[in-house]
Amino acid sequence: MSSQQNGRRPYLPPFRRDWWLQLRFYRLYMLREATVLPLLFFVGWLIYGLYSLGQGPMQWQHWLEFMAKPWVFVLNLLTLAASLFHAKTFFELFPRVMPLAPPGLMIAGQWLGTVVVAIGLIVLLGGYV
Amino acid sequence: MTQTIVIARYNPEQDEKPHHEAYQVQSDDNTSVLDALQQVQQQDPGLSFRWSCRMAICGSCGVMVNGVPKLGCQTFLRDYPAGLVITPLSNFAVEKDLIVNMEPFLEHLSAIKPWLINTAEGTQPHVQTPKQLAKYQQFANCINCGLCYSACPQFGLNPEFRGPAALALAHRYNLDSRDQGKAQRMPELNAKNGVWTCTFVGFCSEVCPKKVDPAAAINQGKVESAKDMIVSVLKPSGAR
Repeated sequence: MSSQQNGRRPYLPPFRRDWWLQLRFYRLYMLREATVLPLLFFVGWLIYGLYSLGQGPMQWQHWLEFMAKPWVFVLNLLTLAASLFHAKTFFELFPRVMPLAPPGLMIAGQWLGTVVVAIGLIVLLGGYV
Repeated sequence: MTQTIVIARYNPEQDEKPHHEAYQVQSDDNTSVLDALQQVQQQDPGLSFRWSCRMAICGSCGVMVNGVPKLGCQTFLRDYPAGLVITPLSNFAVEKDLIVNMEPFLEHLSAIKPWLINTAEGTQPHVQTPKQLAKYQQFANCINCGLCYSACPQFGLNPEFRGPAALALAHRYNLDSRDQGKAQRMPELNAKNGVWTCTFVGFCSEVCPKKVDPAAAINQGKVESAKDMIVSVLKPSGAR
């Protein structure tokens, strides 16, 4: 029996394009997903840096000057903030996907790992050793 | 005191689409959304909504309160001093007023075979240790209220997505030491509309009245799905 015959006329509201603007929870989710956008710029500049390194000292110097431009610096700061926010959300979700230890311990462990790796890279690449 | 609530009304025999109507209800600290709806029904017997147990067990009285999926019996007017708008559960077709067609959800649910599959013969009870029970117990608390489907934008975008409750229950039975049906359920989890459609928005777990955490279950299901894929690649063909 069709819906028409039995008096049914179900109404399915259209799914709104701006669904993610409706609740704070959804906005934060979209912000988490959007953290990839500044990262895209950063990766582009990193590849440009590698290319410049291969081209010789002149081009390398040019790249260093480019990276020191205020707008590039600000965008890199934004990338750092976005990555830290993404890391926070990721670290909090991870214990729910792989519950290997108490969540608090896993979150703390991931942050500790991040700090150790970051300091290690700064020491190693910053010419401190 | 008197409080105003707004309710979405839809009469399929008269209305083109739902509209909002305001009602006055008497409320105190103990007045739930379900109580308020029953008061409105006294004024207007035509108002349709589902309810049964009044204690967050049956899962019948799911509605949207100010755009958030809630059980009517577990939501109180005292928490909405600025007023509340009650609409039918999102992402489902409205049949009348606050009643939606839950059929798509039930189809997804049965597709993942949410029951114990065990070929062992005999009438002996299945023995299970507390440790084995603890593995899946949280995911067994689902009351099939469907709030998680209304919270899930991926289900809203793609109604073919098996969805939070169904995939959480698939994971629940896969984790059960008494069950042998994992091989039958994995194709559903691995499929296009299985676990990989989930992007871990996570609102399903936020609105779940039983703290099942379906988002965690689905993403644990992704780990299982990935393992299943690796095993199937490594196994010689025809060995499955």
